[in-house]
Amino acid sequence: MNKPLAAIAAFAGLVFLGSGAWMLAGHFRAQDAVLVEIVQDGKVLYTVDLASEEDRSIRIEGADSWNLVTVRGGEIFMEEAGCPDQTCVKMGVLRAENLPIVCLPNKLVIRFADSQEVS
Amino acid sequence: MSYRRILPAAVLAAVCLTGCAKSEPQEYSTDLFAMDTYMQLKVWNTDDGASLDAAAARIAALENTFSVTIDGSDIARVNHAAGAPTQVSEDTALLIRKAQEIGDASGGALDISLYPVLCAWGFTTGEMHVPERSTLDALLGQVDYTKIGLDGNTVTLPADMEIDLGALAKGYTSDEVIRIFRESGAESAIVSLGGNVQALGSKPDGSKWKVGIVDPFSPSENMGVVEIENQAVITSGNYERYFEENGQKYWHILDKADGEPADNGLVSVTIIGDSGLQCDALSTALFVEGTQDAVAHWQRDGGFEMLLVTEDGRLLVTEGIADAFTNRSAMPMEVISHE
Repeated sequence: MNKPLAAIAAFAGLVFLGSGAWMLAGHFRAQDAVLVEIVQDGKVLYTVDLASEEDRSIRIEGADSWNLVTVRGGEIFMEEAGCPDQTCVKMGVLRAENLPIVCLPNKLVIRFADSQEVS
Repeated sequence: MSYRRILPAAVLAAVCLTGCAKSEPQEYSTDLFAMDTYMQLKVWNTDDGASLDAAAARIAALENTFSVTIDGSDIARVNHAAGAPTQVSEDTALLIRKAQEIGDASGGALDISLYPVLCAWGFTTGEMHVPERSTLDALLGQVDYTKIGLDGNTVTLPADMEIDLGALAKGYTSDEVIRIFRESGAESAIVSLGGNVQALGSKPDGSKWKVGIVDPFSPSENMGVVEIENQAVITSGNYERYFEENGQKYWHILDKADGEPADNGLVSVTIIGDSGLQCDALSTALFVEGTQDAVAHWQRDGGFEMLLVTEDGRLLVTEGIADAFTNRSAMPMEVISHE
């Protein structure tokens, strides 16, 4: 192998290893964060990282209803809702990527930010 | 070969690859509220999202056609026609015809004329309560889907009856969304209409779609995953819309035998098949039929696969889908076959 070709090969090897390390680091970064979106009528109001978020409740008003979203102990759930059927409250804690917590009257959705499975 | 010859070829290949990538299908997705549910649509296409816009427009049009509460919809006009013949769209006629077909195939377990009884329970307004027995008995006298007249696109409904297409509309809508995507040239799409899932083709990487199936005993979790392509996966369960009164649970899937929530041994019915409409109608019908009749229905008619969960914690899976289902629940899977 002549010198210029060897230099190109070495550079390509470095780029390959470097990008591999970057992807690996990104993988572990993504595993650490548990990102959840609170979305109202298609607009993301909050993005919450359940891995680091402090316990708190957020009251969200809508035209016809309201919701109280609570983060507690690394989990998120709809604590209260202003509608009569309470379907979103009964959903309990957000656990599955394919099972968002949905409040129809308030057009509010709590979902994992990166969904791989559907349902 | 020297690097002087390799380098131009490599640059050319890189340019070509970059150029080619621009014509690769891109992911377009949206979520929206329609038909009293939350819908998520995702398609891989080369059309700048035009097919996604067309699908959203089709959903809005179908809601305006089928809704029982929107003035001027086909169903509102039929229900308020006081017995007079009513001209409806091809879509509405098709759904009523399918409702009659599945009604017949299920011994009347699916009956779209139960709507006044559903109203009496408050499931249509969200203000649910247990109605008086006398109220249910009086309303059940007006429930009989065989009295719905359908001649071409003309519907005639006795004056004291009302219908709704809630058990079929979402399944047909997902069929239509998938049709729009397919006709636009897309080869990969997935839609979830309030948990009713339908797929076009496989994932863009060629692998099958993984569809989570809700655990009816713990509805925020999945009891397993079924792998599909080009199919619909539609579930009816007693956990979807319900209320509790005096410690008793009451759900929205009603049995016309007594006007009460259908309680024939099943808590969840998942139907897997090629047609969203067929799967949607069957999931309600088989839930009402109950365990034994649902299994007999499948053994007699076939054409679909199913997962049943019984109230005593059995998980029954038909043989055609058993290999594609990964059971994550504590329930042992029992495979049922054509015998």
